[in-house]
Amino acid sequence: MNIYLFYIALFFYAISTISYLLCLTVSKKIIGKLGHYFLLTGFFIHLLATFVRYFEAGYTPITNAYESLSFFSLCIACFFLYIKKIYKMEMLGSIFMPVLTIIFIIAFAFPTEIRPLPPLLNSWWLPVHAIFSFIGCAVFLISFFVSVVYLIVENKIKEKRFSPAAARFPSLETLDSVNYQCISYGFIFLTIGIITGSIWASITWGSYWSWDPKETWSLITWIVYAILIHNRLTIGWRGRRTAYMMIIGFFSILISFFGVSFFLGGQHSFI
Amino acid sequence: MHIAVFGLNHNTAPIEIREKLFISDENLYDVLNSIKTAGISEAVILSTCNRTEIYYCSDNHDKSLDIIFDMLFTYFGIKQDWISNYTYCFQDEDAYKHLFLVASGLDSMVIGEPQILGQVKDAYRTATLQNATGFFLDKTFHKTFNVAKKIRTETRIGYNPISISSMAIELSKNIFGELHKKKILVIGTGEMCEIALKYFKKEGLNEIFIANRTFQHAQKLSEEIIGTPFPFEKMPELLTRVDMVLSSTGSEKPIIDKTLVHSIMKKRKNKPLFFIDIAVPRDVDPEVNNIENVYLYDIDDLKELSQKHLSDRVKESEKAMAIIEEEKVNFTAWLKKLDVKPLITHIIGTVDKTRENEVRKIAHKLKNTDEETLKLIDILTRNIVNKLIHPHISMIKQNEDPVVVDIIKKIFSFEGEDENRMDSGDERE
Repeated sequence: MNIYLFYIALFFYAISTISYLLCLTVSKKIIGKLGHYFLLTGFFIHLLATFVRYFEAGYTPITNAYESLSFFSLCIACFFLYIKKIYKMEMLGSIFMPVLTIIFIIAFAFPTEIRPLPPLLNSWWLPVHAIFSFIGCAVFLISFFVSVVYLIVENKIKEKRFSPAAARFPSLETLDSVNYQCISYGFIFLTIGIITGSIWASITWGSYWSWDPKETWSLITWIVYAILIHNRLTIGWRGRRTAYMMIIGFFSILISFFGVSFFLGGQHSFI
Repeated sequence: MHIAVFGLNHNTAPIEIREKLFISDENLYDVLNSIKTAGISEAVILSTCNRTEIYYCSDNHDKSLDIIFDMLFTYFGIKQDWISNYTYCFQDEDAYKHLFLVASGLDSMVIGEPQILGQVKDAYRTATLQNATGFFLDKTFHKTFNVAKKIRTETRIGYNPISISSMAIELSKNIFGELHKKKILVIGTGEMCEIALKYFKKEGLNEIFIANRTFQHAQKLSEEIIGTPFPFEKMPELLTRVDMVLSSTGSEKPIIDKTLVHSIMKKRKNKPLFFIDIAVPRDVDPEVNNIENVYLYDIDDLKELSQKHLSDRVKESEKAMAIIEEEKVNFTAWLKKLDVKPLITHIIGTVDKTRENEVRKIAHKLKNTDEETLKLIDILTRNIVNKLIHPHISMIKQNEDPVVVDIIKKIFSFEGEDENRMDSGDERE
């Protein structure tokens, strides 16, 4: 049952993506609006599907590759809807929607059936730890793309190649403040994710921190963002510097999220 | 009915002539009235700093032109040779094509500028308020507004700004987004500054600071613009408080250099700062652009962009021309449908044929009657018929409402295809 709902959600994400991409060439407001409503519908169906799977499986569905990627795209959709509501940046939809849809499609490449939960994960800490970590990662993924757009637009203005295409992008200040929102939220979620993770570790494995590759890389990521926040608040690291740091931070997340699971092994490699 | 335009613009007449023929808002009513009472049924007058044009509609082109010339002689005291040297006159197709071009900014000095459409709309509104327009000009102007809108949405003719001021604003918006919470510092009180500042003011800036070496000038400009004047020495401190700097002093050497901006950016905690340097020689050291979060555009950068945007517009104007050409053909076809001359010939023709047939039948029966009686019968029937169809024909002539014309067409079983045949028949007679 749940899997059909996931397919329907994917379908809505896909047509939302198409609408947003069309928006780039055809300047009709209605297409952007359609894209927004498709995304909204897709999001709610996706949320429903996740709950249905939760009840069908009997555990929080963030335990294997399929479930993780699916939940990850749900987080992206959620945070993007939030950013859109505040900053009204329809244009970014043409970047985020394809990314979200592709991640969701990749999720379907993994086995989708409900399997018995490994006894190790059978704990209330699973939803708490995983949900916060995933939202944190989704927020940083968004900030990564915002940073790339920032660097492109900034370069255009600096090099005096101001063009009609740049005029459609959000302003530098908006992009920078979206980035700031992303660091603020992302950092909080990431911190909670790491803390809850270490509490859970102490309960099941008997020690708070065991320098497993995933833990190490999460810590590195956390340090990168901590430096950025510190410098932003004290000496005013803004604009380009923030953007570069966000990109570095995101690569470190990529390593801890995918790299560790698929290549480095360790205690987290069940994902 | 013919739609025509008579006028002059920046291409055909120098400014001295254009300003003589400028019709101000107060005079516009008088002029419109005088044309109307002189016998032109419909007229719209468009008078801007770059053009004065009279759009009108009449049966008799030459007579209408005479009326306009008379009006021009009496109101503006123009000389006879001006008409041949500086003015143009287009009729029918060319006239409304010209109006399409004007309204969509293709005939403007700065190609694609948007203000002209508003001016055309105003001109039309003034004329309607004076009851100076009728069916034809109403249709023509509404069509024009449609065409102009179509060109705005389907081409990128007005997409990029061209003037230095609007480009500076567009750039600021690319950096800061909305400008209503932003502050600007103006250094220098030159004319360029003043013009640009007025544009910025329209964006609803939060605060305007004006610094100048001669404090009185700063005070004067502040009063005009509603800003805060500051002595020139305060400039470095002000730089920490504003988002944009508009500079145009007569200084020989740059007044803002890299070290100054470096120290300021530290105090600003790197909040973005945008310099618009429209002074020659430059006020801001070009090196400043290399500092993070600082953006500097000097007058050459802006001019270069302007050139680029202008060439974009020229490219786009080809698309616009295609639209205008297409719409012109459509409108001509539509007007042709309204042309009632063939219909009138048709009505007179059919009715007269019936009459002649009947008279011939009667004449056949009255074999003994003399020529004079027959002639009288002929005159009698002709008069009756003429009296009967006269109301129809005058209705067609007066009421250009297509619905009425359509009904009459049906009554007299007139079909459009007959037009040409009827016309040639007419000529033979």
